[in-house]
Amino acid sequence: MTRPRLELVSLHKEYDNGAVVAVDGIDLAVTAGETIALLGPSGCGKSTTLNMIVGLEQPTSGDIQIDGASIVGVPAGKRNVGLVFQDYAVFTSMTVRQNLAFGLAVRKRPKAEITRAVAEVAELLGMSDRLDARAKDLGGSELQRVAIGRTLVTKPAILLLDEPLSNLEAAARLAMRRELRRLQSEIGLTIIYVTHDQIEALSLADRIAVMHAGRILQVEKTARICERPDHVFVAGFLGSPPMNLVKGAIEPCEGSVVFRHGGLTLPLGAIADFIKPPEGRFTLGIRPEAVRLVPADGAALSGEVLLVESRGADAVLTVEAAGLKLKVVAPAGAHPGEGQATGLAVDPEALVFFGGDTNRRVDLPLAARPN
Amino acid sequence: MLTRKLSPLQMAIMAAALAVVLFPVFWILMTSIKPPTDWNASPAIWVPTKPTLVNFKTLFDPDALREYGVGGVSQSATKAVLGSLLASLVATALSVAIGLLAAIGISRYGNGSKATPLIILSGRMFPPAAIAVPFVIIFSSIGLTDSYVGLIAIYVAATLPFSTWMLKSFVDDLPREIEEAAMIDGLSRLRAHLTVTIPLIRGGLFATTMFIFILNWSEFMFALVLAYSNISTIPVQLAKYVTATAGTLYGVQAALAVLAMVPLVIVGYLIQSHLARGMTFGAIKQ
Repeated sequence: MTRPRLELVSLHKEYDNGAVVAVDGIDLAVTAGETIALLGPSGCGKSTTLNMIVGLEQPTSGDIQIDGASIVGVPAGKRNVGLVFQDYAVFTSMTVRQNLAFGLAVRKRPKAEITRAVAEVAELLGMSDRLDARAKDLGGSELQRVAIGRTLVTKPAILLLDEPLSNLEAAARLAMRRELRRLQSEIGLTIIYVTHDQIEALSLADRIAVMHAGRILQVEKTARICERPDHVFVAGFLGSPPMNLVKGAIEPCEGSVVFRHGGLTLPLGAIADFIKPPEGRFTLGIRPEAVRLVPADGAALSGEVLLVESRGADAVLTVEAAGLKLKVVAPAGAHPGEGQATGLAVDPEALVFFGGDTNRRVDLPLAARPN
Repeated sequence: MLTRKLSPLQMAIMAAALAVVLFPVFWILMTSIKPPTDWNASPAIWVPTKPTLVNFKTLFDPDALREYGVGGVSQSATKAVLGSLLASLVATALSVAIGLLAAIGISRYGNGSKATPLIILSGRMFPPAAIAVPFVIIFSSIGLTDSYVGLIAIYVAATLPFSTWMLKSFVDDLPREIEEAAMIDGLSRLRAHLTVTIPLIRGGLFATTMFIFILNWSEFMFALVLAYSNISTIPVQLAKYVTATAGTLYGVQAALAVLAMVPLVIVGYLIQSHLARGMTFGAIKQ
């Protein structure tokens, strides 16, 4: 792995003399050219983290390094880090051109350079014909483009985006998402993208860092994070719908190892399959996509379909089985209707277990099995 | 601007309200061009048959009314007009400047406690009449009575709660991200305020300035108790047009009132849209 472009080292931020801990010791390394999404619910410390990276807030402890050098204490304007705000922060009293030129004009760059850089960025964002428009006359997605352009024009080493699309309406959001992806590939920026919208994170980021209550719970490649959540919170947050989470116990039962919750008993394998048979309290995670619908007759687990939410190509079924309400994703048209009975089958390979106390994922110590 | 069509009933109510509000203005305008014989004629003369500008002339030439046999007007109004301009302009500039600093301090830096804005406003709880006398006593012991410095000081103190609160509401409405964006672009905190905050609230700054000017321009109580001979303002001068022989000089008073109204009408017209908003102290957000 190449040297990280940006590194956060046990970064802490407290308010009111420690009464409120916004960021609780996060470590993160971002490589050059990578897009990483900080994903988490409101108030999890994402924006505070961005503000510390850009220099609007000072960390209580910990370090922020760019290319190996600490930037803590360096003023916001001298870090070469750009931040695009959620509500754009475009100077509405100026024209688009003045907005785009602002950062360079403040840095007292030569006129010719400013003109060239503004033209370049305007071209990149498709705003060349709008340069003389007043910013206050622009619509949402145009404002967002100006906000991004204002930041790009200073050629930041790292671009931070704070929920940049959440103020846009659905259609504009999709278009801007495509635009951002294009920018990513055209200029190869290092981007940290803060969002609470997992679709945005999944479609834009190379890696996703899931934050909760001031901590990073997991950093994982986008393609893998839904399948292999490290933490119960990640499992319950990612995916649409997220994983079914069932608290229960793993115990030996008649020569095999089973997961038990109320009336639900899931065999996990023969005792002999395990290097050391697991026992104790666990939380079981089942992805809705991993549950198959089978005929009710003769199924080990069966229940009643309570609700069908169609999503076009597929549907989300809520099935009540063994006292649990399980979400199941099934292809459209190939599922029983509301009120009908159905059997459920789950491939043991697709089950994920989390420690009952730690909430961290545990891999069951299975002995190597032939295939 | 109101462009909506009004129903006949609404029109009638509006007309009635306007008539009530505008009647005194009409009366003052008419009185200002009446000769002394018409001032308090009975029955009342609504529109003078022989309009004259002698009342206006008297403001700056106290002897002008002698042609109507009215003497004893002692003082020209020049000093009062200049005094009003001086006190109002300087006090307004100071009040808005200090209020702006306070507003940014409270809104952006959380200066003081949460109660600070209320404490600032609490100065307005007392009617001027209640604090005028203590002011005179304190001011005479420190030599500030009958001086523009004293008058300006008291005007600044009296209007500062308004300027602070109005400007605070405008700064509150401005997202702080916009200053932060400027700081990320390389401006210092102070320069971010100068190049971003202040230009963006200039509409509010203008409205506040005009509003404070109106307050100062029309202030009577403090000027009355502080002005002896060195200083004067228009409201004080208005009260002086009473002679031993001819009684109250209504026409001259009206003429001075008309002059005093001119800046208020201009200012009021300029800030009409801001005024309603500023007066709500930011309770309504667009």
